[in-house]
Amino acid sequence: MHAMLTRYVLKRFAVGLVQLFGLTVAVFFLIRLLPADPVSRLVGMNASAEAYAQAAHKLGLDRPVLTQLLGYLGLGEEPGLLQGSLGDSWVTGSTVASEIVQHLPVTLELITLGFLVAFAIAVPVGMVSALNPGGKTDKGVFVYSLFAGSQPEFWWGLLLVYVFFYQLGWAPPPLGRLSPMTTPPVAYTGFILIDTLLAGSPAKFVEALHHLMLPVLVLAFILSGPIIKMVRQNMVRALRSDFVLYGNAAGLPRKTVARYALRAAMAPSMTLIGILYGFMLSGAVLVEIVFSLGGIGQYAVRAVLAFDYPAIQGVILVITAISLIVYLALDLIHAAIDPRVAY
Amino acid sequence: MTAIDAPELERKRTDWLFRIGVFIVAVVTILAVIGPFIGPYDPTLTTPRVAVPPPTLFELPGAVTGWLSGSATHAPHFMGTDVNGYDVFSRVIAAPRTDLMIALLANGLSLFLGVLLGLVAGYYRNFATELLMRVSDVMQSFPVFISAMVLVALAGRSTTNIIIALAFVYTPIYIRLTRSEVMSQTSRGFVEASRAMGASELSIALRHVLPNSLTPALIQSSVTIGFAILLTAGLSFVGAGVRPPTPEWGLMISTGANQIILGEWWPSVFPGIAISLTVFGFAILGNALEGRYGDG
Repeated sequence: MHAMLTRYVLKRFAVGLVQLFGLTVAVFFLIRLLPADPVSRLVGMNASAEAYAQAAHKLGLDRPVLTQLLGYLGLGEEPGLLQGSLGDSWVTGSTVASEIVQHLPVTLELITLGFLVAFAIAVPVGMVSALNPGGKTDKGVFVYSLFAGSQPEFWWGLLLVYVFFYQLGWAPPPLGRLSPMTTPPVAYTGFILIDTLLAGSPAKFVEALHHLMLPVLVLAFILSGPIIKMVRQNMVRALRSDFVLYGNAAGLPRKTVARYALRAAMAPSMTLIGILYGFMLSGAVLVEIVFSLGGIGQYAVRAVLAFDYPAIQGVILVITAISLIVYLALDLIHAAIDPRVAY
Repeated sequence: MTAIDAPELERKRTDWLFRIGVFIVAVVTILAVIGPFIGPYDPTLTTPRVAVPPPTLFELPGAVTGWLSGSATHAPHFMGTDVNGYDVFSRVIAAPRTDLMIALLANGLSLFLGVLLGLVAGYYRNFATELLMRVSDVMQSFPVFISAMVLVALAGRSTTNIIIALAFVYTPIYIRLTRSEVMSQTSRGFVEASRAMGASELSIALRHVLPNSLTPALIQSSVTIGFAILLTAGLSFVGAGVRPPTPEWGLMISTGANQIILGEWWPSVFPGIAISLTVFGFAILGNALEGRYGDG
């Protein structure tokens, strides 16, 4: 069993690496095929031909594309992907890796909290809905989940800002993770909720929580749609299975049976959760922008609009890599909950 | 929706909702045709009145009668004007021309390509089609929003490029759906029967397998159109979508976004309601189609 698990994980890693390699090469050629001119974006439209050529040389864009690709992969003279380097940003000059490390925790924190809140809403609602399929509650919940799953999240973000900041004054202005007047804590982990606690300032922790309130609420609302639908569907299936019938017939308390059914219902949900989580890594971008949180999605937008090729490639590569790891982790959790799943 | 529920229950459950969905989609479709012409103002021209709030319910009758009787100096701004002086109402009803057209064409393009490639990949199983599936896997692992944004920003912010970018993002879904359906169809008896009767492989694939394999892709279309509208609006919101002054819901929301913390809610709220309802409408249709024709 153990050896099989190891082999399975290794195989998944190998397939993932091949996929990431394909993605890297595809993105590399794709952005160079498109008719954008990153050099003139950097030096300006009115730059002299010399300045232009100089800038192109400095970025390495005067080399043949294949040489550029080999250089990026780390097969040239400079360190590249193989040496663990994502290159330097063309705009800021710092390494792409360091910039991603700075922005990624913001997004991870935001979407993880969003998922937790969405679950806190979706699991009880989905369960109640499943207890009486076709009933009034079930119908109402169904309409809600269809609605929530098809909404423009950035607009809901703005709407909440209008109501809770402008009208009621309950929320802080949407200007980042802390008030601009507050000195941010030392970024030990990059997760502001953890860093404020490590810095021993509960006041800042509460402030950070306050600033995350609305963005997390928006994400939880959007996510609750598909998650409720999934919990309900799996729960209905679980409640009609033989073991629930047996549990009821044996006179087990309703609560105990419901708990068993919930466990059976959650196992097949893991795959969808993984896909949703991977999707949200870049899907939270609009919420990040509305609330100026400075997450990885917002970083990607800045990179794309500035034609910062190394940053674009780095972000896409890292986001895809994380999604693949999340898929694998959740598949393993699935197998741990549900012993019928074989590798 | 689910195979478990009794069909009668399902039908009752989605009937009134289905009507709402059809109504919303019908209104948006009609507006896509006539919307740009029926508003009181040209949706692409500014008025001298900047950031005027919409009339309250008490002012509304006076504004309308004043306009109709000719005593008012200008037509009422039912939804106010934005910071540039555009009439919000005229732009909200003109925008389906942009949003729905982009979504329909992008979906049409990806549906066509996806079904074609999916048919080939499902019918002829060889090295080339296996490679196609791996490429499609890689495409599907791209982060959706970022890749669409990269394509549009680097190729140039035009409607055509947005359509192509969206089609690029959505094609792999159709390839996968069609391929697996084709694979299940080719193992059925009628394929063997046609072959026994001497039909050519091409004619079997096109005349028998293809029509039987379209259902999942067509059901997916309604969902894709809704998401394409969201994506189009999102691209405009970050500055990688259609150019101003094109009437487009996401662009309108983005124009109003900076003013909303100052209390000017109307330039963003009205186009947002339009997107919200439109995408909901397509989601309802998609769900109803899935319930009626899907096997899941």
